Amino acid sequence: MAEEGRACYVYGVVTEDRSDDAVRDLGAVGDPDAAVTLVRHGGQAAVVSEVPVDKPLGTPEDLRAHARVLDSLAARSSPVLPFRFGTVVRDTTAVTDELLSEGHDDFARALDRLRGRSQFTLRARYVQDAVLREVLTEQPDAVRLREELQGLPEEAGYDQRIQLGQLVMDAIAAKRAVDALEVDRRLGPHALASVSTEPSSAEGLVNASFLVEDERRTAFEQAAEELAKLWNGRVRIRLLGPLAPYDFVADAMNPAKEGE
Amino acid sequence: MTVASQQSQYLDRASSSALVDVVDLILDKGLVIDVYVRVSLVGIEILTIDARIVVASVDTYLRFAEATNRLDLARSGTETKGLPGLMDEIQESGGRKKTKGALEGVKDTVSDLLQGDESDEAEDEAGEREEARRRESGDRPRHRRSSSRERER
Repeated sequence: MAEEGRACYVYGVVTEDRSDDAVRDLGAVGDPDAAVTLVRHGGQAAVVSEVPVDKPLGTPEDLRAHARVLDSLAARSSPVLPFRFGTVVRDTTAVTDELLSEGHDDFARALDRLRGRSQFTLRARYVQDAVLREVLTEQPDAVRLREELQGLPEEAGYDQRIQLGQLVMDAIAAKRAVDALEVDRRLGPHALASVSTEPSSAEGLVNASFLVEDERRTAFEQAAEELAKLWNGRVRIRLLGPLAPYDFVADAMNPAKEGE
Repeated sequence: MTVASQQSQYLDRASSSALVDVVDLILDKGLVIDVYVRVSLVGIEILTIDARIVVASVDTYLRFAEATNRLDLARSGTETKGLPGLMDEIQESGGRKKTKGALEGVKDTVSDLLQGDESDEAEDEAGEREEARRRESGDRPRHRRSSSRERER
């Protein structure tokens, strides 16, 4: 593989026993017609495809292809070690003789730690009108400012508008802090680890990723469903997964950390 | 991705190929192999996405005030203009202005802003915007995020 002008894109590493059925025809990064294949070595397999070296990577379709390949593998079974987008080596010889040989022990440890585990990512956002209504119910100052502004022309009441907007955003931020904890309180117990990112947009509540064991998956999904039911009409919750453990693979590779 | 393993009545389990979702999931994530092993990486140019914008600004306050003012408390429906349109506008202006007085915790990424709409519409918008923001640079994707994430090594 990898003739002149071609190189080897690496999506990640899986165990040797995996098949490329799920990914072969998914469309590769950098070249939709290239096949995604496995290159096996020493009990492990790198998930790769040929990529032209003369054009930059990173189009929306490239990003999708990268995730699609990894998530398709993750959907079938774990473990999957996702590499960062844009990892390219010379050819398949470099994959076996350098990547898989040199990395064998590190990959083995990570594969072991992530066996039977996958990532679920939850995205929660407030329903705009519902949260604004809550704020108005709870913040007398907001109601007062709103009333003061009623009927005023655009130009007038500039300061009150700023004040009102800031007050509303502060109030939403306070809700976010409380509600993000609730997400973690309900879902955390069903997961081995979790990472959440700062509140997203002004109406975002939380983006959180969880590392979930296969045996706990149903319980985890139920907990998420219950939360979505509880907050129905107030917060929209999306749950993506099972996904490749993008947020947890670095920890799994870390020799200093003991696996559970 | 997969079909939900159980019925989800309230939870949205739809898998997504929306660019915003993908960007959020994978950019800056995953193993950087040359940290762990010596491999002759081929340096292919990687387009980068500078997705960070600042939401909290005077503009934002004004728009929130407007949304709040338009809220019809007498009705329970959702007939106000609401935030989706609002968010689009914020995004337009937010990227360029770095207004003082930013609230902590409300800085944002394009992806986060857009991800509310699970529709293709959002995807298309995202695509355009990402393209607009895309620019060429070094050999690693740089995706600046407002949040700090712990990363090993």
